[in-house]
Amino acid sequence: MLMKGAPSREPAAGNPGEGADSLLRATAKGDEAAFARLYDLVAGRVYGLIRRVLRDAAQAEEVTQEVMVEVWRTAGRFDPARGTATAWVFTIAHRRAVDRVRSEQAGSDRVRRLVPEREAQHDVVVEEATARLERQQVRRCLKTLTELQREAITLAYYGGYTYSEVAQLLEAALPTVKTRMRDGLIRLRDCLGVSVA
Amino acid sequence: MSAPTDIHSLAGAYALHALDAGERELFDDHLAGCSVCRNEVAELRETAARLADDAWEIPPPRLRQQVLNQIASTRQALPPMRRSSRRGPMIRHRTRMLVAAGVAAIVAAAGVYAVQELRLRDQRISAHAEAQRIEAVLTAPDAVLRTSAVQGGGTLTIAMSPSRDQAVIMLRDAKTPDWNKVYQFWLIQGANPNPAGHLVRDQNSATRVVSGVRGMNVLGLTMEAPGGSVTPSLPILAQIPLT
Repeated sequence: MLMKGAPSREPAAGNPGEGADSLLRATAKGDEAAFARLYDLVAGRVYGLIRRVLRDAAQAEEVTQEVMVEVWRTAGRFDPARGTATAWVFTIAHRRAVDRVRSEQAGSDRVRRLVPEREAQHDVVVEEATARLERQQVRRCLKTLTELQREAITLAYYGGYTYSEVAQLLEAALPTVKTRMRDGLIRLRDCLGVSVA
Repeated sequence: MSAPTDIHSLAGAYALHALDAGERELFDDHLAGCSVCRNEVAELRETAARLADDAWEIPPPRLRQQVLNQIASTRQALPPMRRSSRRGPMIRHRTRMLVAAGVAAIVAAAGVYAVQELRLRDQRISAHAEAQRIEAVLTAPDAVLRTSAVQGGGTLTIAMSPSRDQAVIMLRDAKTPDWNKVYQFWLIQGANPNPAGHLVRDQNSATRVVSGVRGMNVLGLTMEAPGGSVTPSLPILAQIPLT
Protein backbone atom coordinates (compact mmCIF):
# COMPACT_ATOMS: atom_id res chain seq x y z
CA MET A 1 0.00 0.00 0.00
CA LEU A 2 1.40 3.35 -1.00
CA MET A 3 -0.18 6.67 -0.30
CA LYS A 4 0.34 9.33 -2.91
CA GLY A 5 0.65 12.58 -1.04
CA ALA A 6 -1.72 11.62 1.74
CA PRO A 7 -0.58 12.97 5.07
CA SER A 8 -1.39 9.93 7.14
CA ARG A 9 -2.69 6.43 6.72
CA GLU A 10 -3.68 5.92 10.32
CA PRO A 11 -6.10 7.96 12.40
CA ALA A 12 -4.90 10.62 14.78
CA ALA A 13 -6.33 8.56 17.64
CA GLY A 14 -4.37 5.68 19.15
CA ASN A 15 -0.66 5.22 19.69
CA PRO A 16 1.34 7.09 17.11
CA GLY A 17 3.93 4.87 15.52
CA GLU A 18 1.99 1.71 16.19
CA GLY A 19 0.05 1.13 13.01
CA ALA A 20 -3.02 -0.99 12.57
CA ASP A 21 -1.08 -3.21 10.15
CA SER A 22 1.45 -4.38 12.72
CA LEU A 23 -1.22 -4.68 15.42
CA LEU A 24 -3.32 -6.86 13.14
CA ARG A 25 -0.33 -9.06 12.28
CA ALA A 26 0.41 -9.50 15.99
CA THR A 27 -3.28 -10.24 16.59
CA ALA A 28 -3.06 -13.02 14.00
CA LYS A 29 -0.46 -14.68 16.25
CA GLY A 30 -2.80 -14.64 19.22
CA ASP A 31 -1.51 -11.46 20.88
CA GLU A 32 -4.50 -10.26 22.92
CA ALA A 33 -2.78 -7.06 24.04
CA ALA A 34 -2.15 -6.09 20.42
CA PHE A 35 -5.78 -6.83 19.66
CA ALA A 36 -6.86 -4.55 22.54
CA ARG A 37 -4.77 -1.72 21.09
CA LEU A 38 -6.19 -2.42 17.64
CA TYR A 39 -9.65 -2.21 19.19
CA ASP A 40 -8.86 1.23 20.59
CA LEU A 41 -7.61 2.33 17.21
CA VAL A 42 -10.61 1.25 15.13
CA ALA A 43 -13.60 0.81 17.46
CA GLY A 44 -14.80 4.40 17.11
CA ARG A 45 -15.03 4.14 13.37
CA VAL A 46 -16.33 0.55 13.36
CA TYR A 47 -19.09 1.42 15.81
CA GLY A 48 -19.80 4.79 14.17
CA LEU A 49 -20.06 3.24 10.72
CA ILE A 50 -22.32 0.41 11.85
CA ARG A 51 -24.46 2.82 13.83
CA ARG A 52 -24.73 5.10 10.80
CA VAL A 53 -25.98 2.22 8.66
CA LEU A 54 -28.24 0.53 11.23
CA ARG A 55 -29.39 3.64 13.18
CA ASP A 56 -30.24 1.54 16.21
CA ALA A 57 -27.65 1.81 19.00
CA ALA A 58 -28.37 -1.57 20.60
CA GLN A 59 -28.06 -3.37 17.27
CA ALA A 60 -24.95 -1.39 16.41
CA GLU A 61 -23.34 -2.52 19.66
CA GLU A 62 -24.18 -6.13 18.95
CA VAL A 63 -22.88 -6.02 15.37
CA THR A 64 -19.73 -4.16 16.44
CA GLN A 65 -19.00 -6.95 18.87
CA GLU A 66 -19.54 -9.56 16.13
CA VAL A 67 -17.23 -7.65 13.80
CA MET A 68 -14.43 -7.24 16.32
CA VAL A 69 -14.59 -10.92 17.24
CA GLU A 70 -14.45 -11.77 13.53
CA VAL A 71 -11.38 -9.54 13.22
CA TRP A 72 -9.75 -11.52 16.02
CA ARG A 73 -10.79 -14.84 14.57
CA THR A 74 -9.76 -14.20 10.96
CA ALA A 75 -6.80 -11.83 11.47
CA GLY A 76 -4.54 -14.44 9.83
CA ARG A 77 -6.37 -13.95 6.55
CA PHE A 78 -5.40 -10.29 6.28
CA ASP A 79 -3.11 -9.87 3.28
CA PRO A 80 -1.13 -6.59 3.37
CA ALA A 81 -0.54 -6.89 -0.39
CA ARG A 82 -4.21 -6.20 -0.98
CA GLY A 83 -4.77 -3.14 1.21
CA THR A 84 -4.39 -1.62 4.65
CA ALA A 85 -5.43 -3.25 7.92
CA THR A 86 -7.91 -0.47 8.70
CA ALA A 87 -9.62 -0.88 5.32
CA TRP A 88 -9.76 -4.64 5.91
CA VAL A 89 -11.50 -4.08 9.25
CA PHE A 90 -13.91 -1.45 7.92
CA THR A 91 -14.78 -3.65 4.95
CA ILE A 92 -15.80 -6.44 7.35
CA ALA A 93 -17.77 -3.93 9.45
CA HIS A 94 -19.58 -2.46 6.46
CA ARG A 95 -20.36 -5.89 5.02
CA ARG A 96 -21.86 -7.04 8.33
CA ALA A 97 -23.90 -3.87 8.79
CA VAL A 98 -25.28 -4.09 5.28
CA ASP A 99 -26.08 -7.78 5.68
CA ARG A 100 -27.98 -7.00 8.87
CA VAL A 101 -30.00 -4.24 7.23
CA ARG A 102 -30.89 -6.36 4.21
CA SER A 103 -31.81 -9.42 6.22
CA GLU A 104 -34.27 -7.42 8.26
CA GLN A 105 -36.13 -5.34 5.78
CA ALA A 106 -37.64 -5.82 2.37
CA GLY A 107 -35.98 -3.45 -0.08
CA SER A 108 -38.90 -1.36 -1.24
CA ASP A 109 -40.24 -0.84 2.29
CA ARG A 110 -36.87 0.33 3.45
CA VAL A 111 -36.57 2.86 0.66
CA ARG A 112 -40.02 4.28 1.29
CA ARG A 113 -39.55 4.38 5.02
CA LEU A 114 -36.21 6.11 4.95
CA VAL A 115 -36.75 8.75 2.32
CA PRO A 116 -37.72 11.45 4.84
CA GLU A 117 -34.75 10.53 7.00
CA ARG A 118 -32.25 11.59 4.41
CA GLU A 119 -32.54 15.18 5.56
CA ALA A 120 -32.38 14.19 9.21
CA GLN A 121 -29.23 12.25 8.52
CA HIS A 122 -27.73 15.33 6.97
CA ASP A 123 -28.18 17.31 10.19
CA VAL A 124 -26.47 14.59 12.16
CA VAL A 125 -23.55 14.72 9.76
CA VAL A 126 -23.21 18.45 10.32
CA GLU A 127 -23.42 18.15 14.10
CA GLU A 128 -20.77 15.50 14.22
CA ALA A 129 -18.17 17.77 12.73
CA THR A 130 -14.84 17.60 14.52
CA ALA A 131 -11.35 18.62 13.67
CA ARG A 132 -10.13 15.13 12.98
CA LEU A 133 -7.76 15.15 10.07
CA GLU A 134 -9.04 12.11 8.22
CA ARG A 135 -12.57 13.24 8.54
CA GLN A 136 -11.73 16.61 7.10
CA GLN A 137 -9.86 15.00 4.28
CA VAL A 138 -12.72 12.66 3.43
CA ARG A 139 -15.18 15.55 3.51
CA ARG A 140 -12.97 17.78 1.43
CA CYS A 141 -12.68 15.04 -1.15
CA LEU A 142 -16.40 14.25 -1.07
CA LYS A 143 -16.95 17.90 -1.98
CA THR A 144 -14.97 17.45 -5.19
CA LEU A 145 -17.57 14.97 -6.45
CA THR A 146 -20.64 15.91 -8.45
CA GLU A 147 -23.83 15.94 -6.43
CA LEU A 148 -25.06 12.71 -8.01
CA GLN A 149 -21.73 10.94 -7.45
CA ARG A 150 -21.68 12.02 -3.83
CA GLU A 151 -25.29 11.10 -3.14
CA ALA A 152 -24.98 7.73 -4.83
CA ILE A 153 -21.85 6.83 -2.86
CA THR A 154 -23.00 8.10 0.53
CA LEU A 155 -26.46 6.51 0.25
CA ALA A 156 -24.88 3.18 -0.61
CA TYR A 157 -22.13 3.36 1.99
CA TYR A 158 -23.77 5.07 4.95
CA GLY A 159 -27.32 4.04 4.10
CA GLY A 160 -26.56 0.44 3.17
CA TYR A 161 -28.72 0.63 0.06
CA THR A 162 -28.23 -1.48 -3.05
CA TYR A 163 -27.59 0.50 -6.19
CA SER A 164 -31.09 -0.19 -7.47
CA GLU A 165 -32.49 1.22 -4.22
CA VAL A 166 -30.22 4.22 -4.61
CA ALA A 167 -31.57 4.70 -8.15
CA GLN A 168 -35.10 4.67 -6.74
CA LEU A 169 -34.19 7.17 -4.03
CA LEU A 170 -32.49 9.53 -6.44
CA GLU A 171 -35.00 8.93 -9.21
CA ALA A 172 -32.10 8.23 -11.53
CA ALA A 173 -31.56 5.52 -14.14
CA LEU A 174 -29.85 2.34 -12.95
CA PRO A 175 -26.92 2.50 -15.38
CA THR A 176 -26.33 6.14 -14.39
CA VAL A 177 -26.19 5.31 -10.68
CA LYS A 178 -23.90 2.35 -11.27
CA THR A 179 -21.56 4.50 -13.36
CA ARG A 180 -21.61 7.41 -10.89
CA MET A 181 -20.66 5.05 -8.04
CA ARG A 182 -17.65 3.87 -9.97
CA ASP A 183 -16.41 7.18 -11.37
CA GLY A 184 -17.18 8.90 -8.05
CA LEU A 185 -15.08 6.36 -6.14
CA ILE A 186 -12.29 6.76 -8.68
CA ARG A 187 -12.31 10.52 -8.18
CA LEU A 188 -12.36 10.03 -4.42
CA ARG A 189 -9.49 7.57 -4.68
CA ASP A 190 -7.38 10.09 -6.58
CA CYS A 191 -8.27 12.90 -4.17
CA LEU A 192 -7.41 10.80 -1.11
CA GLY A 193 -4.26 9.48 -2.76
CA VAL A 194 -5.22 5.86 -2.21
CA SER A 195 -3.40 3.16 -4.09
CA VAL A 196 -2.85 -0.49 -3.45
CA ALA A 197 0.66 -1.69 -4.17
CA MET B 1 -37.21 -5.05 -12.11
CA SER B 2 -34.58 -5.61 -14.72
CA ALA B 3 -31.89 -3.47 -16.16
CA PRO B 4 -29.01 -3.98 -18.51
CA THR B 5 -25.69 -3.92 -16.75
CA ASP B 6 -22.19 -3.98 -18.11
CA ILE B 7 -20.39 -6.20 -15.62
CA HIS B 8 -17.16 -4.17 -15.52
CA SER B 9 -18.88 -0.98 -14.49
CA LEU B 10 -20.32 -2.70 -11.39
CA ALA B 11 -16.91 -2.36 -9.69
CA GLY B 12 -18.00 0.76 -7.78
CA ALA B 13 -21.27 -0.70 -6.56
CA TYR B 14 -19.41 -3.90 -5.66
CA ALA B 15 -16.84 -2.03 -3.56
CA LEU B 16 -19.71 -0.23 -1.79
CA HIS B 17 -21.50 -3.54 -1.06
CA ALA B 18 -24.38 -2.18 -3.14
CA LEU B 19 -25.05 -5.25 -5.29
CA ASP B 20 -27.75 -7.76 -4.49
CA ALA B 21 -26.69 -11.32 -3.75
CA GLY B 22 -27.06 -12.67 -7.30
CA GLU B 23 -25.14 -9.84 -8.92
CA ARG B 24 -22.43 -10.02 -6.30
CA GLU B 25 -21.92 -13.69 -7.01
CA LEU B 26 -21.69 -13.12 -10.73
CA PHE B 27 -19.29 -10.24 -10.20
CA ASP B 28 -17.15 -12.44 -7.94
CA ASP B 29 -16.93 -14.94 -10.77
CA HIS B 30 -16.09 -12.18 -13.20
CA LEU B 31 -13.34 -10.94 -10.86
CA ALA B 32 -11.77 -14.37 -10.73
CA GLY B 33 -10.94 -14.06 -14.42
CA CYS B 34 -10.09 -10.36 -14.61
CA SER B 35 -6.91 -9.17 -12.89
CA VAL B 36 -7.41 -5.55 -13.98
CA CYS B 37 -10.82 -5.61 -12.26
CA ARG B 38 -9.32 -7.14 -9.11
CA ASN B 39 -6.82 -4.30 -8.83
CA GLU B 40 -9.50 -1.73 -9.43
CA VAL B 41 -11.78 -3.31 -6.83
CA ALA B 42 -8.94 -3.43 -4.28
CA GLU B 43 -8.37 0.30 -4.72
CA LEU B 44 -12.05 1.23 -4.73
CA ARG B 45 -12.61 -0.89 -1.63
CA GLU B 46 -9.70 0.81 0.09
CA THR B 47 -11.23 4.15 -0.92
CA ALA B 48 -14.71 3.21 0.28
CA ALA B 49 -13.25 2.13 3.62
CA ARG B 50 -11.91 5.66 4.09
CA LEU B 51 -15.53 6.82 4.30
CA ALA B 52 -15.59 5.17 7.72
CA ASP B 53 -13.29 8.00 8.87
CA ASP B 54 -16.31 10.24 8.69
CA ALA B 55 -18.52 7.98 10.79
CA TRP B 56 -16.53 8.05 14.00
CA GLU B 57 -18.60 7.83 17.16
CA ILE B 58 -17.82 6.92 20.78
CA PRO B 59 -18.74 3.27 21.32
CA PRO B 60 -20.44 2.20 24.57
CA PRO B 61 -17.58 1.84 27.09
CA ARG B 62 -18.70 -1.64 28.21
CA LEU B 63 -18.27 -2.93 24.66
CA ARG B 64 -14.48 -3.05 24.95
CA GLN B 65 -14.55 -5.49 27.87
CA GLN B 66 -17.32 -7.56 26.28
CA VAL B 67 -15.21 -7.98 23.14
CA LEU B 68 -12.02 -8.75 25.07
CA ASN B 69 -13.87 -11.34 27.15
CA GLN B 70 -15.28 -12.99 24.07
CA ILE B 71 -12.03 -13.17 22.12
CA ALA B 72 -10.29 -14.72 25.13
CA SER B 73 -12.45 -17.77 24.54
CA THR B 74 -12.57 -17.64 20.73
CA ARG B 75 -10.29 -19.86 18.72
CA GLN B 76 -8.55 -18.15 15.79
CA ALA B 77 -8.83 -19.43 12.24
CA LEU B 78 -5.66 -20.63 10.60
CA PRO B 79 -4.20 -18.27 8.01
CA PRO B 80 -4.41 -19.42 4.39
CA MET B 81 -1.40 -21.30 3.01
CA ARG B 82 1.16 -18.93 1.56
CA ARG B 83 4.02 -20.31 -0.47
CA SER B 84 6.60 -17.63 0.16
CA SER B 85 7.08 -13.92 0.46
CA ARG B 86 7.37 -13.62 -3.32
CA ARG B 87 4.04 -12.43 -4.52
CA GLY B 88 3.94 -13.57 -8.12
CA PRO B 89 3.45 -17.30 -7.76
CA MET B 90 1.23 -16.89 -4.73
CA ILE B 91 -1.14 -14.59 -6.53
CA ARG B 92 -1.32 -16.79 -9.59
CA HIS B 93 -1.96 -19.76 -7.39
CA ARG B 94 -4.66 -17.92 -5.51
CA THR B 95 -6.28 -16.76 -8.72
CA ARG B 96 -6.57 -20.28 -9.95
CA MET B 97 -8.15 -21.28 -6.69
CA LEU B 98 -10.55 -18.35 -6.87
CA VAL B 99 -11.59 -19.29 -10.38
CA ALA B 100 -12.06 -22.86 -9.32
CA ALA B 101 -13.99 -21.83 -6.22
CA GLY B 102 -16.21 -19.41 -8.13
CA VAL B 103 -17.00 -21.90 -10.81
CA ALA B 104 -17.53 -24.62 -8.25
CA ALA B 105 -20.07 -22.38 -6.51
CA ILE B 106 -22.01 -21.86 -9.71
CA VAL B 107 -21.89 -25.51 -10.62
CA ALA B 108 -22.91 -26.46 -7.11
CA ALA B 109 -25.83 -24.07 -7.42
CA ALA B 110 -26.98 -26.06 -10.39
CA GLY B 111 -27.34 -28.95 -7.93
CA VAL B 112 -29.34 -31.76 -9.36
CA TYR B 113 -28.70 -30.43 -12.82
CA ALA B 114 -24.93 -30.62 -12.68
CA VAL B 115 -24.77 -34.15 -11.41
CA GLN B 116 -27.78 -35.92 -12.84
CA GLU B 117 -29.46 -34.07 -15.61
CA LEU B 118 -26.19 -33.15 -17.26
CA ARG B 119 -25.30 -36.84 -17.48
CA LEU B 120 -28.62 -37.59 -19.13
CA ARG B 121 -28.36 -34.77 -21.60
CA ASP B 122 -24.95 -35.43 -22.94
CA GLN B 123 -22.61 -37.88 -21.33
CA ARG B 124 -19.63 -36.53 -23.20
CA ILE B 125 -19.85 -33.08 -21.69
CA SER B 126 -18.08 -33.29 -18.38
CA ALA B 127 -18.93 -31.01 -15.48
CA HIS B 128 -15.50 -29.50 -16.00
CA ALA B 129 -16.26 -28.47 -19.55
CA GLU B 130 -19.56 -27.03 -18.40
CA ALA B 131 -17.77 -25.00 -15.76
CA GLN B 132 -15.44 -23.66 -18.44
CA ARG B 133 -18.37 -22.67 -20.64
CA ILE B 134 -19.95 -20.80 -17.74
CA GLU B 135 -16.71 -19.05 -16.95
CA ALA B 136 -16.18 -18.12 -20.61
CA VAL B 137 -19.53 -16.32 -20.71
CA LEU B 138 -19.04 -14.59 -17.36
CA THR B 139 -15.61 -13.29 -18.25
CA ALA B 140 -16.45 -12.24 -21.82
CA PRO B 141 -15.61 -8.56 -22.34
CA ASP B 142 -19.13 -7.79 -23.54
CA ALA B 143 -20.94 -9.79 -20.85
CA VAL B 144 -24.08 -8.00 -19.71
CA LEU B 145 -25.98 -8.81 -16.56
CA ARG B 146 -29.72 -8.50 -16.00
CA THR B 147 -31.84 -9.61 -13.06
CA SER B 148 -35.54 -9.88 -12.33
CA ALA B 149 -37.58 -10.97 -9.35
CA VAL B 150 -39.64 -14.14 -9.86
CA GLN B 151 -43.34 -14.16 -9.04
CA GLY B 152 -43.69 -16.14 -5.81
CA GLY B 153 -40.08 -15.52 -4.74
CA GLY B 154 -36.50 -15.86 -5.89
CA THR B 155 -34.55 -14.23 -8.70
CA LEU B 156 -33.88 -14.90 -12.34
CA THR B 157 -30.54 -13.63 -13.65
CA ILE B 158 -29.00 -13.76 -17.10
CA ALA B 159 -25.39 -13.00 -18.00
CA MET B 160 -25.32 -12.65 -21.77
CA SER B 161 -22.41 -12.34 -24.16
CA PRO B 162 -23.61 -11.37 -27.66
CA SER B 163 -20.12 -11.91 -29.09
CA ARG B 164 -20.16 -15.53 -27.91
CA ASP B 165 -23.86 -15.88 -28.73
CA GLN B 166 -24.19 -17.51 -25.32
CA ALA B 167 -25.71 -16.76 -21.95
CA VAL B 168 -25.69 -18.13 -18.43
CA ILE B 169 -29.18 -18.29 -16.94
CA MET B 170 -29.45 -18.57 -13.17
CA LEU B 171 -32.59 -19.25 -11.21
CA ARG B 172 -32.17 -18.78 -7.48
CA ASP B 173 -34.41 -19.73 -4.58
CA ALA B 174 -37.66 -19.74 -6.51
CA LYS B 175 -40.74 -21.20 -4.91
CA THR B 176 -40.66 -25.01 -5.04
CA PRO B 177 -43.02 -25.97 -7.88
CA ASP B 178 -46.13 -28.07 -7.33
CA TRP B 179 -45.50 -31.82 -7.69
CA ASN B 180 -46.85 -31.86 -11.25
CA LYS B 181 -44.91 -28.80 -12.47
CA VAL B 182 -41.34 -27.86 -13.37
CA TYR B 183 -39.71 -24.53 -14.22
CA GLN B 184 -38.93 -23.85 -17.87
CA PHE B 185 -36.88 -21.07 -19.50
CA TRP B 186 -37.89 -19.42 -22.78
CA LEU B 187 -35.97 -17.24 -25.20
CA ILE B 188 -38.54 -15.13 -26.97
CA GLN B 189 -37.90 -13.57 -30.35
CA GLY B 190 -40.69 -11.25 -31.42
CA ALA B 191 -43.81 -13.35 -30.84
CA ASN B 192 -41.97 -16.69 -30.98
CA PRO B 193 -41.06 -18.40 -27.71
CA ASN B 194 -38.21 -20.92 -28.00
CA PRO B 195 -37.82 -23.49 -25.23
CA ALA B 196 -34.48 -22.85 -23.49
CA GLY B 197 -34.39 -25.70 -21.06
CA HIS B 198 -36.53 -26.95 -18.23
CA LEU B 199 -35.73 -28.13 -14.72
CA VAL B 200 -36.82 -31.29 -12.95
CA ARG B 201 -39.46 -31.79 -10.25
CA ASP B 202 -38.82 -29.96 -6.98
CA GLN B 203 -35.91 -28.06 -8.51
CA ASN B 204 -36.06 -24.36 -7.64
CA SER B 205 -32.49 -23.25 -8.42
CA ALA B 206 -30.39 -23.85 -11.50
CA THR B 207 -27.54 -22.53 -13.62
CA ARG B 208 -27.71 -23.06 -17.38
CA VAL B 209 -25.54 -22.15 -20.32
CA VAL B 210 -27.63 -21.53 -23.42
CA SER B 211 -26.54 -20.76 -26.96
CA GLY B 212 -28.24 -18.90 -29.78
CA VAL B 213 -29.14 -15.85 -27.71
CA ARG B 214 -28.29 -13.27 -30.37
CA GLY B 215 -31.42 -11.56 -31.66
CA MET B 216 -33.56 -12.81 -28.78
CA ASN B 217 -35.72 -10.12 -27.19
CA VAL B 218 -36.84 -11.58 -23.88
CA LEU B 219 -35.90 -14.29 -21.40
CA GLY B 220 -39.03 -15.76 -19.82
CA LEU B 221 -39.75 -18.21 -17.01
CA THR B 222 -42.91 -20.33 -16.70
CA MET B 223 -44.09 -23.49 -14.98
CA GLU B 224 -44.83 -26.42 -17.24
CA ALA B 225 -45.64 -30.11 -16.97
CA PRO B 226 -42.61 -32.29 -16.14
CA GLY B 227 -40.57 -32.84 -19.27
CA GLY B 228 -41.22 -29.33 -20.52
CA SER B 229 -43.57 -27.87 -23.13
CA VAL B 230 -43.20 -26.56 -26.66
CA THR B 231 -45.26 -23.45 -25.92
CA PRO B 232 -45.26 -21.50 -22.66
CA SER B 233 -48.20 -21.64 -20.26
CA LEU B 234 -49.32 -18.45 -18.60
CA PRO B 235 -48.57 -16.80 -16.31
CA ILE B 236 -45.04 -15.75 -17.14
CA LEU B 237 -43.37 -15.79 -13.73
CA ALA B 238 -40.43 -13.58 -14.70
CA GLN B 239 -39.27 -11.89 -17.85
CA ILE B 240 -36.12 -10.01 -18.66
CA PRO B 241 -35.81 -7.84 -21.77
CA LEU B 242 -32.58 -8.69 -23.57
CA THR B 243 -32.33 -5.88 -26.07
